[in-house]
Amino acid sequence: MFESIAAALGPEIYQYLLAGLVTGLLYALIALGYTMVYGIIELINFAHGDLFMLGAFFSLQLAIWVGAAGAKGQATGEFAVLAVAIMLVAAPVFCAALNVTVDRVVYKPLRNAPKLAPLVSAIGVSFIFMNIGVFWMGTYDLNFPELIPPTNLTPGYRVEFTYQHLMVIVVTLPVMVALTLFVRYTALGKAMRATAQNPTAAQLMGINVDRVIAATFAIGGALAGVAAVVYGLYVNSAGYQMGFQTGLFAFTAAVLGGIGNIPGAVLGGILIGLIEKLGTGYVGDQWRQPLIFAILIVILIFRPNGILGARTREKV
Amino acid sequence: MSTAPPLLVVDNLEAGYGQINVLHRLSLTVNQGEIVTIIGANGAGKTTTLMCISGVVKTRAGNITFDGQSITGVPAHSVVRLGLSQSPEGRKIFPRLTVRENLEMGAFTRRDHDGMRADIQKAYTMFPILEKRQSQPGGLLSGGEQQMLAIARALMSRPKLLLLDEPSLGLAPQIVVQIFDVIRELNKQGMSVLLVEQNARMALKVAHRGYVLETGRITFTDKADVLLHDPRIRQAYLGE
Repeated sequence: MFESIAAALGPEIYQYLLAGLVTGLLYALIALGYTMVYGIIELINFAHGDLFMLGAFFSLQLAIWVGAAGAKGQATGEFAVLAVAIMLVAAPVFCAALNVTVDRVVYKPLRNAPKLAPLVSAIGVSFIFMNIGVFWMGTYDLNFPELIPPTNLTPGYRVEFTYQHLMVIVVTLPVMVALTLFVRYTALGKAMRATAQNPTAAQLMGINVDRVIAATFAIGGALAGVAAVVYGLYVNSAGYQMGFQTGLFAFTAAVLGGIGNIPGAVLGGILIGLIEKLGTGYVGDQWRQPLIFAILIVILIFRPNGILGARTREKV
Repeated sequence: MSTAPPLLVVDNLEAGYGQINVLHRLSLTVNQGEIVTIIGANGAGKTTTLMCISGVVKTRAGNITFDGQSITGVPAHSVVRLGLSQSPEGRKIFPRLTVRENLEMGAFTRRDHDGMRADIQKAYTMFPILEKRQSQPGGLLSGGEQQMLAIARALMSRPKLLLLDEPSLGLAPQIVVQIFDVIRELNKQGMSVLLVEQNARMALKVAHRGYVLETGRITFTDKADVLLHDPRIRQAYLGE
């Protein structure tokens, strides 16, 4: 049966599925940053997509400094491996530090304020980040150097699987596995889960909740930094608005999976990636955004807790 | 009475939320080995008192001394390390952690894994139902089981003083009896307890001394059996 469906959809189905999976892994990394922060302090951090954008700009800047990219972001053909290595270390550190700083300066003073106050502040931070991006790299879309070549690794097969696809998978999957193990087994990971479930009880257990919140912003930021590098190397472009659309797609992914739920963010990310690429392929590129936001609306109406949203409720 | 200095001294404590002061110059002491109860109506300030002692609610004036050391303004996560643990009102179990993980969270400040395992086993001996439920999420337990878990979790930090906030709230009478038997047994083994209760009769029966809290002020204090037979207390809190 699958064969007949595949025949009806044409051989390009496999390429769409691969592109969807790879894009989905990227959305998942960003969605994790939304979902973890929401899980801990119930804040939808609207600046998260723009943090991702600044991470991409920072990576581009690094590539230029190292000499792997020219002033317009085009690859010079030199120092590619060095640049990728430096980016993968420095961009997560940069985004983590920035995210923790924003929490300390903007959100922390509003911890006991009504929920709307930090939310509106997050929108403000989003605009500040975007303007920093404009100031930094201008308003035109830039090249992000093609440091990983799109060489086909599977000639003769129906699917074109390139070094770029491989890079996305090789970087994002271990990061997600590491995050899952970290949250499940380390003391800080357990403290994060406990704080998300009941912050007052967490304090009574001896957990420094402020430190847990800072760690959550650091981890979410670092994941956005990894996503920024991988996205840049995969899509080979960057621009000050890249965080807006990608951020909204990742946010939709987090809601689809169940906001606050870590496996949910990964599942939602992959689903949104697949929907985006299949939608673009079969329905048309102009329907990509309406399709995804229609899904957001439908989830919010019929299943606001998402696919894997919290099922066990606290007994009072 | 012992001549040792009291384990806990609360001296002229003031606290509140926003514009409203909830506690007015509240003073109380708990001696080593004692069960002390604070009884009072809903909204009298009992939970606020415990939350101030635990460092969750900020004090506005007054001093809290624990084990000879001032803990006024010490953050909640540090208070636990000094040997002061609380089973909070409404249990506050971690709903999506298993029973065993809840107990492990209670030992968050400890690093002696063998001792922790032994103490989890002790908790299971005290409340056998928790062992049967050890792999279930805390949120799926019954109210009584959650209360047992909350007390067992609070004990996991090996406290010198246990604060219990409304352990009888919403529980069936035979479960309440079981919980109070455990409190008595813990005390026999040397645990000092500060117990907040609306169920004044049960609380005064188990406690050595009691304080009556009315709208943020201590209005009576005496030995528990004296309070239990005081006509004013009987009329106001024991329904006679």
